[in-house]
Amino acid sequence: MILDILLTRYNYVVVALLLPVGAYMMIENRNLVKKVIGMNVFQTGIFLFFITAAYREGASPPLVGDGGAGVTYVSPLPHVLILTAIVVGVSLTAVALALIVRIYAQYGTLDERRLREAYADE
Amino acid sequence: MSSLLPLLVAVPIAGALLTLVVGYAADRLGWPLAFASSLLHVALTGYLVVRAYATPDPLRYTVGGFRPPFGIELVVDGFNAAVVGLVAVVAVGVLVYARRAGPHSVAFYTGYLLLVAGLSGMSITGDMFNLYVFLEITGLAAYALVATGDDGRSAVGALKYLLVGTVGASLFLAGIGYAFVATGTLNMADLATKLGEVGYGSTLVRTSFALVVVGLGVKTALYPLHTWQPDAYASAPDSVSGLISALVSTVSAYALARVIYSVYTVEFLSSVAYAREFVLVLAGVSIVAGSLLAVMQTDIKRMLAYSSVSQFGLVVAAFAIANEAAVTGGVVHLVGHAVMKGGLFLAAGAIAMRTGARTVGEFDGLGSRTPLLGAAFAVLSLSMVGVPPAVGFVGKWYIALGAIQSQLWPIAAVILLSTLLTLAYFLRLVERMYFRSGTGAAAGADSPTGTGTATVADGGDDEDPTLGRDDTPTLGRDDDDAFAADDERFGRPSVGMVAVVVVAALLAVVLGPLVSAFEPLLEPTLETLL
Amino acid sequence: MADIQSLRPLAAVAVPAVAIAFIYASNRRPNVREAATLLAAASTFVLVASMVPRTLAGDAYVTTLGAFVPLGGDVVEFTLRADALGMLFGLLASLLWVVTSFYSIGYMRGLDEHAQTRYFAAFAASVSSAVGVAFASNLLVLFVFYELLTVATYPLVTHDETAEARAAGRKYLAYTFGGGVAVLTGTVLVYVLAGNVSFAAGGIEGLAGADPTLGRAAFALLALGFGVKAALMPVHSWLPDAMVAPTPVSGLLHAVAVVKSGVFGIARVVLDVFGPETVSNLGVGVPLAAVAAFTLLMASVIALRQDNLKRRLAYSTVSQLSYIVLGLGIGASLGGDAARYALVGGLLHIPAHAFMKLTLFFCAGIIHVETHTDDISEMAGIGKRMPLTMVAFGVAAAGMAGIPLVAGFVSKFYLLIGTASGGEVAFTVALLVSGVLNIAYFWPVVYQAFFEDETPDGHDRKPLVEYPLGGRTDVAADGSGGRGAGDDHASGDGVQARGPQRPADPESEYAVDRNPSDHTDQGGELGDGAEEMVENDADHEHDAHHHHEGGAPAGGWERRGWLGQESTWFMLGPILTAAVGSIAIGVVPGRAVFLRIVEEVVRAATAATAVATTGVVF
Repeated sequence: MILDILLTRYNYVVVALLLPVGAYMMIENRNLVKKVIGMNVFQTGIFLFFITAAYREGASPPLVGDGGAGVTYVSPLPHVLILTAIVVGVSLTAVALALIVRIYAQYGTLDERRLREAYADE
Repeated sequence: MSSLLPLLVAVPIAGALLTLVVGYAADRLGWPLAFASSLLHVALTGYLVVRAYATPDPLRYTVGGFRPPFGIELVVDGFNAAVVGLVAVVAVGVLVYARRAGPHSVAFYTGYLLLVAGLSGMSITGDMFNLYVFLEITGLAAYALVATGDDGRSAVGALKYLLVGTVGASLFLAGIGYAFVATGTLNMADLATKLGEVGYGSTLVRTSFALVVVGLGVKTALYPLHTWQPDAYASAPDSVSGLISALVSTVSAYALARVIYSVYTVEFLSSVAYAREFVLVLAGVSIVAGSLLAVMQTDIKRMLAYSSVSQFGLVVAAFAIANEAAVTGGVVHLVGHAVMKGGLFLAAGAIAMRTGARTVGEFDGLGSRTPLLGAAFAVLSLSMVGVPPAVGFVGKWYIALGAIQSQLWPIAAVILLSTLLTLAYFLRLVERMYFRSGTGAAAGADSPTGTGTATVADGGDDEDPTLGRDDTPTLGRDDDDAFAADDERFGRPSVGMVAVVVVAALLAVVLGPLVSAFEPLLEPTLETLL
Repeated sequence: MADIQSLRPLAAVAVPAVAIAFIYASNRRPNVREAATLLAAASTFVLVASMVPRTLAGDAYVTTLGAFVPLGGDVVEFTLRADALGMLFGLLASLLWVVTSFYSIGYMRGLDEHAQTRYFAAFAASVSSAVGVAFASNLLVLFVFYELLTVATYPLVTHDETAEARAAGRKYLAYTFGGGVAVLTGTVLVYVLAGNVSFAAGGIEGLAGADPTLGRAAFALLALGFGVKAALMPVHSWLPDAMVAPTPVSGLLHAVAVVKSGVFGIARVVLDVFGPETVSNLGVGVPLAAVAAFTLLMASVIALRQDNLKRRLAYSTVSQLSYIVLGLGIGASLGGDAARYALVGGLLHIPAHAFMKLTLFFCAGIIHVETHTDDISEMAGIGKRMPLTMVAFGVAAAGMAGIPLVAGFVSKFYLLIGTASGGEVAFTVALLVSGVLNIAYFWPVVYQAFFEDETPDGHDRKPLVEYPLGGRTDVAADGSGGRGAGDDHASGDGVQARGPQRPADPESEYAVDRNPSDHTDQGGELGDGAEEMVENDADHEHDAHHHHEGGAPAGGWERRGWLGQESTWFMLGPILTAAVGSIAIGVVPGRAVFLRIVEEVVRAATAATAVATTGVVF
């Protein structure tokens, strides 16, 4: 039973793993860069979920010229959406890294706990 | 006419690009360009809002000619017309304020225009995924704006905001995913019918609802999803906290309402067990916890931030009650809160500029040091508490009426008692401003020895023989001395800054009675939504 | 019963509101500022008074300002309507504002108070709101002004800016906003139940048939909410604390405008929202009267124990307000003539108590200004120093106790007849016992003033009577134990802040300026009294804990004449006016307009069940 799920629904299992792993990294890791990586992992889990939703057993790519009527296609829409979402994710990562560079320049550390100490000293 | 709709988003984006390019070449053109773009945006919005209320049907625009269930649709109806108008007006007000208060960088003006574009987009889109994209554009602009502050603290606040905000947006995206898996469509109107066909009992539909509510709850900053908000508001420059507090959470709360009514529909709320209760509990806890946390703060901006947590609890509760009275109240309070809270943040910024007062203790005796700003702050506070006939009261009246009509007694009690909770944290400020002499404030961050003279003058102490000379009123007497002392140590807010704050205070009072003119306009839209 | 469209009700609210702007504008010119106050007070009174004749004929002036908080087809109109009940309160508030304005000028200048502009502005705002409360045409508009009144009064309570005043202000806002929440909830419930919140004589249609449980809840919430300002026990304790406010505030607001807005609210709820019949059907009238009876007895007992004159007066206010509520509660639950007697008695007590209590507070204030004495135990022999004041005090106190020929007698007489003829003998007994208690707590003051000797060795000499009729031993005991440490400290601060007396300013147009308080002159002429005062003041500069700032000077009170030498006419005039007013209501109640207004109110409210309205008139 469990083996069955693992073999046929393995991408859902991966989604279910990626989300908590990303969330855990964001909450538990003291290093700011690793928090951002955790954020990326979390987002990737959701991207994968969308892509999985587009999958159809035995379907062909959505090119009308190839098959014509009666053939099942995979859904093209999620792919397009996720391309957009990936772009958004990259922008977010860029902004986050820019902020981290500034924080490092100011405080000389990326450790959350040391940052708090630096606050207290101010 | 509706072909002008995409311009609501396009104009600020074009303005942002122009400001960025020209601004780097000629620094001084940054503000005028941003201001011109904003004015154009206001004019456009004003025209469209009038159109939207003049015609019974919503204005619609199909982007790129893709037919609606497949392509993106922009819609302006009576509900979001109010929000679009609010975004445009508040944005211009904040820009006027920022002329003196700063930040003066081109990055700020660009980020500001991008934020306006994102917020306008969130308000008018009729497509779920498009809503996500605009949500992220808004978020990105807001993160960057928070980080325009000078110190490292604002960067940390912005990063925290970014991390939590992204999780919220991602959960929202996941919620969209579940709805898409269930129905295969992303258009809001189409989703509404297809979700009904799938059946509200379906696990997919219910999960998507929970994810969407939590995701937008993070962006709206409902307790306990609010953790990004106090740091972001407190560390951002004053203009930015005013802008973000007035608009970002507001438009997110609007998006939540839009999703509840136009995608899941009121029928879903009432037919699915615990759907309404889930939102109501989230909102109720938010009202109480936000107020309690606000009482505990000593920093003015953090206190105002927690106050937002509480007030958005009120708004979301109204949307979850979902009858005509409550939704009217929700819209009124959404707009009213934006004016009041934005005004409060801007007033707090101007007061800090004038007197250096940034904590509750430093507000002692401010009423005589900055009479106009102090009075505006007091009026906005009282309006927030819900003293009639100001807009804060009118919103609360409708929401309470809705709660009692639906016989939801516990939430009705929380809504009504929120008056007292709000009073708890605003009263101490008003009391300090007017009924304590300004020893604490003068001692600010500067050296205590240098402030001795200012303290005596502020307090109207009787040891000073000249002060007991006749019955010249205290008010006039203190002003001069305090002004002189403050002028030496602090800057003066520009006329524009003070004017923006005063206009916000006046609006807070005047909007209340004006609701009677607005309600009939909103009513046809509510009938279709509910 | 015609409604007359007119701007007069709006003008009566707007004039004091507009005056605020003028008061602030003339911030630096006190004489102009005070002229603005007096002008506004006079014109407000004239405006209100001009509406009286038609009101007595059963008509009402109406100003419609359009819709407020509309919802679907239902609209709550923002309308001001000067009907008979509103006129009772509006006329009272505006008339007494005129009197109090003069007194305020004398009082504030006599003490050289700080922040006088804020004081006069807030005073005008309070009166504006009070008139708004009076003329509100529905529960929601009433609530709007009720809340505004709270906000407007707050700066007056906190006026002293001492820790004690701030604490009192906080308590005041917490209580009254809490009451506001209850009123709002009740209003929403009434709106949901009846679909309408507009006042209608005899009750709102649709409320009679509503769900009785929710109806009772709405009544309880409204009574509780208005009961806060009416100082019903157990939500009364803000009122004694609010006595840190300047005395004119205690006089006009905490004996007339603010507390009576609460009583007035209850009257509206009983007569015009639910209507006597529905109140009777719901069975909520007697519990309300029972709370009132409890309050009036308990407050009288507590008043006995107060040594601070203003606090004793405050508890007296708590007690007297409950007479009104009791009259309303009983009047609504009985039928026939008994109900009308009780209602007339209760409503007439609104102006009767106002005149008497205003006199009493003014007396307390003038004593404070002239001698800095606040405690009854220090007032021995003060009748020599302030003869007119103490006579006025004695007259008003007699009225409070219900002695004939003063206002209090008439209203209490109606109340007694109403309760007795209605068979509610328990309430009759409560009223009578309270009357005795009234004498018990007012007599010591009068006794102290006229029949007691202030010199330390003089306690055994009895110049006028050989045996004490009461009070003396009580008061001595209280005098040592009644004052808490907090009182001492705060009143010390108060004196310290006031500073020395002002010198005469010959150019000023006001009498107080030309003839500054006598003890400045008297310092040269007569010596000891004034020097003692100055010494006391000087002491406080160095020692804030020195607590004997009041009381007789070392050589005893000097004797002042009966023609106003005791103080300025700015304060004596208002005192005598108020005292004469209370006698007028007592001697010729039929001529004083208030009884006729009250009869009109009761006639309208009980019209549905009325058989005959004759026999009530004097």
